[in-house]
Amino acid sequence: MLASEMFDLRDTLGQQGITFCYSGYMTEGILLGIGNAIKTQMQLGDADAKVTKGVFAVFVEQVQNVIRYSAEKIGNEDSSELRYGILTVGSKDDVPFVACGNMIETKDAERLRDSLTHIKGLDRDGLKALWKETLRGETPEGSKGAGVGFIDIARNARHGIDFDFRKVDDAYVFFTLKALL
Amino acid sequence: MSTLHIPATERTPELLFDFAANTFSLKGESYPENIAEFFGEPVGKLKEHLGAQAGQRIAFHFALPYFNSSSAKTIMGLFSLLDQAAEDGNDVLITWTCEEGDDMQEMGEEFAEDLDAAKFELKFLE
Repeated sequence: MLASEMFDLRDTLGQQGITFCYSGYMTEGILLGIGNAIKTQMQLGDADAKVTKGVFAVFVEQVQNVIRYSAEKIGNEDSSELRYGILTVGSKDDVPFVACGNMIETKDAERLRDSLTHIKGLDRDGLKALWKETLRGETPEGSKGAGVGFIDIARNARHGIDFDFRKVDDAYVFFTLKALL
Repeated sequence: MSTLHIPATERTPELLFDFAANTFSLKGESYPENIAEFFGEPVGKLKEHLGAQAGQRIAFHFALPYFNSSSAKTIMGLFSLLDQAAEDGNDVLITWTCEEGDDMQEMGEEFAEDLDAAKFELKFLE
């Protein structure tokens, strides 16, 4: 029974082409560990060096987004805090993907949707221009990084990005971003 | 000011700022846990140092196989500081080492587009 349950979970992931899956509180240590495993696995699988770097780059931005912004958290910013997210990495029809999901506050959903809709609609030159503009500008309010992570993900995702939102309750929305490389 | 040397870690580059020789370098992957903690002090010292230079030959060498988006902001800031030093009458050369055709080549070239006075040179790894 126990083995069947775990096998079924593994099988469900496998059917979606998922080779790495992590659901839980994310830390910089986890980022480092899983990141190294992804690099090694892709190198052993003879993946193109450019694709491997792209997958790794998107993975880093996705996980750092969860560590910094997931609304599902324990602890507090002053001492230590842990933020929850789910990450999958895999390949479907020979197109590698990195997908990540986490809770966000409902009040942030519209801004995020607008921002990602804009990014998704840009071509390579448009993304480059927005990337530079964002790097040059002041860091947006509420951002702990450069605020350029999503643009970076889109630039690496040569087969595009997809995103979606699902209402959880009045206060929270579950947000997912998938990059196809 | 003396030399500032921070050895590389798995996620931060080797940082070597030789203020007396006016040669500076960053080598290795860059995706620090806390960007300000890693780059804040060295970049602050560099800014102060460059502001006091005139008629000097200054070289900054970048060899970054990978950097994350928050590091990109710091790198763009360094290019801007170096360009300012060149505009202030110094002879500034930025070299950017990467693999030919790699995304890092494109990144280097994009940063270099904004330079007005500093010289930029691409170097490819064998």
